[in-house]
Amino acid sequence: MKNTFRVVAALAAATLIVGVTTMPAATAAVKTKACLALDTGGVDDKSFNASSWAGAVKVKSSSISVEYLPAASSADFAGNIKKFVDNKCTIIIGVGFAISGAIITSAKANPGISYAVVDDGAYDCNADYSVCNPVANVKGLTFATQEAAFLAGYVAAGYSKTGIVATYGGAPYPTVTCFMSGYKQGVDYFNTVKKKSVKVLGWDGKNGEFIGDFGNTTKALATSKAFEQAGADVIMPVAGGLAAQTAQNSMTSKKSVTIWVDTDGYVSANQYKSVLLTSVMKGLGEAVGSVITDVSKGKFTNTSYVGTLANKGTKIATYHDLAKKVPSKIQNEVRAIAADIVSGKIKVKP
Amino acid sequence: MKLIAKKAILPLIAFGLALFVGGLVIGFTDSRVLSKIGSPISFLKIFASTVGNAYLALFQGAIYDPNLVEGHSFLTGFYPLSQTVVNAAPLMLCGLSVAIAFKAGLFNIGAQGQFIFGAIGASYVGFHYELPIFLHVVVAITAAIILSALWGGFVGLLKAKTGAHEVIVTIMLNYIAANFLLWILGTSTFLRPGRLDPLAPPVKDTARLPRLFGDNYSVNVGIFISIVVAFLFWLLLNRSTWGFKTRAVGANSSAARTAGISVQRITIGTMLIAGGLSGLAGAIHVLGFQYELTSDTAGSFGFDAITVALLGRGGPVGVVLASLLFAGLRVGGTTMQANVQVPVEIVLVIQALVVLFIAAPGLITRYIKIKNLESGQEMASKGWNG
Repeated sequence: MKNTFRVVAALAAATLIVGVTTMPAATAAVKTKACLALDTGGVDDKSFNASSWAGAVKVKSSSISVEYLPAASSADFAGNIKKFVDNKCTIIIGVGFAISGAIITSAKANPGISYAVVDDGAYDCNADYSVCNPVANVKGLTFATQEAAFLAGYVAAGYSKTGIVATYGGAPYPTVTCFMSGYKQGVDYFNTVKKKSVKVLGWDGKNGEFIGDFGNTTKALATSKAFEQAGADVIMPVAGGLAAQTAQNSMTSKKSVTIWVDTDGYVSANQYKSVLLTSVMKGLGEAVGSVITDVSKGKFTNTSYVGTLANKGTKIATYHDLAKKVPSKIQNEVRAIAADIVSGKIKVKP
Repeated sequence: MKLIAKKAILPLIAFGLALFVGGLVIGFTDSRVLSKIGSPISFLKIFASTVGNAYLALFQGAIYDPNLVEGHSFLTGFYPLSQTVVNAAPLMLCGLSVAIAFKAGLFNIGAQGQFIFGAIGASYVGFHYELPIFLHVVVAITAAIILSALWGGFVGLLKAKTGAHEVIVTIMLNYIAANFLLWILGTSTFLRPGRLDPLAPPVKDTARLPRLFGDNYSVNVGIFISIVVAFLFWLLLNRSTWGFKTRAVGANSSAARTAGISVQRITIGTMLIAGGLSGLAGAIHVLGFQYELTSDTAGSFGFDAITVALLGRGGPVGVVLASLLFAGLRVGGTTMQANVQVPVEIVLVIQALVVLFIAAPGLITRYIKIKNLESGQEMASKGWNG
């Protein structure tokens, strides 16, 4: 047995050494090396990490290579970005506003590399955030999701039989509250136009219902049930993966429908398709993809990208299976309102 | 020296085996390798090169990377080692925290929560007060130790007075600590001005642990503090009456009680120290590396520490080496993914395998005869009903 072990050990060691020395030649010259420094949650978070990475993979080509590094905690951000700098990435994309500070620090030290941050304007601010300036080589990718959420709010109000609709958020981050704010404004607009009084639970224009994090499934389920008991028959959860709890609850209780956010839930969470009224979509992947192609064409600028209804950076999904339950009048009005938001006739605040 | 070599042989073999099995996992999960499965020669070739390059990247990411030198001094290549050492320091202290509980027959699963309280204390003193350069660090660390020692000592008190099992209590207190952190980060005291997300203000420069080799290397005095603490750990346990009593309680608490040792006092004292050690780890992480308190500051230090203490077999030298190994694997894993696109999660597989081979020494000794192997009988912990 002892000899067998020695032989195996020697073989393994020899294999490794041979392996390293016969290292394959570097792959054909890649012009653009796009590197994504992800937020915590992993590449398969079914949320913004996953969408951003999918967007990058889509533009991968013979001249564009893409890679990512996951973060176990926020302490990893700076190290991951430095790794990308050492590995000579052409563009480094930080995913999530939490990584913004680390990206800006690295960008100022490496003016030759292009950077982008998903979900943050990526401004260089002083200690108390009273003065903020853009950085020459950093592009912020943000989304005016309130515009699409406004439409969703209008649809919800038009669909509701009880006259009560609801929303809740994962945590009170601006990237979450803008959904809730737009949703409420959409309902309010419906009330003004139709002289109705549909109520919104979970957001009063300033404060609202928050789970506290994006992982507490128990509280998400309890919140959804509480909304139903209060009479709400449309719920829009803005809490990443927790939306599944609300949709699942809608399926079992049959008392409400769910509005999905970030992606088209009909595609990304197809098992809930029977209760999905619509989805407020955020074009993370497209934004990431387009900034990478810009870099590869030498057209990178630090001008912030803002996804709007106008540039289709945010939109609502079709009603899919529930199309018959949304009055066609409402569907037409939503199209008209969308045009008004694009033209600036209707202004939606974040 | 011979004694250390004898003690080290089992962990070394376990590590070797873990790398071997990990290599198989890397090879057989790589699509580039699997695509060549039809032709044995090129399959073996690409298998070897994939695994070899993954481990080369792991080494480059953990110890020395010649690619970083390019036009700089050869010392620049040691940047990864600096990262490894920085990450090892808190892990070492948490590992000692778990190990000291082992010695008293206690299983401290609460290093994570104690770490959090240490981090909160250090962060608050670090950003809130204006103090002179040396004093600020001392006060911040003291605050961290006091807070976390109380948090840990509370467990000892419950165990001593009511018999509440420390495993259950520490696990539950971890949740309380994590949610307390989330809550406190949302209060106006801890919320960074201008921000809405859970992020405390950065600690002032005066409270930051001095770096050893300039700004480019994050390695700081934290590692010295940790090693000194490891030495004190040895001194306390092997050269003091209190340490003798602790070991006596750990070996057999009934016998210790009969011999006139107050088991209650030892239990409370041990948990106070265990808490303080994890809290010191939190302080060193916040004041020496992260410089700001976030909701995930503790990462997985407190849980990895259990593994580190097991791997280090509950002794100070073992814990020091095991924490360096684990930190190296973790830091190197990033490079492995960045350079050769082998997922960093493989590192967790290797870590788990190391523990598997250590925790079940029979797996190894059954197939490999090791001369004069110090038998794995010396139990690091007495487990559930100890």
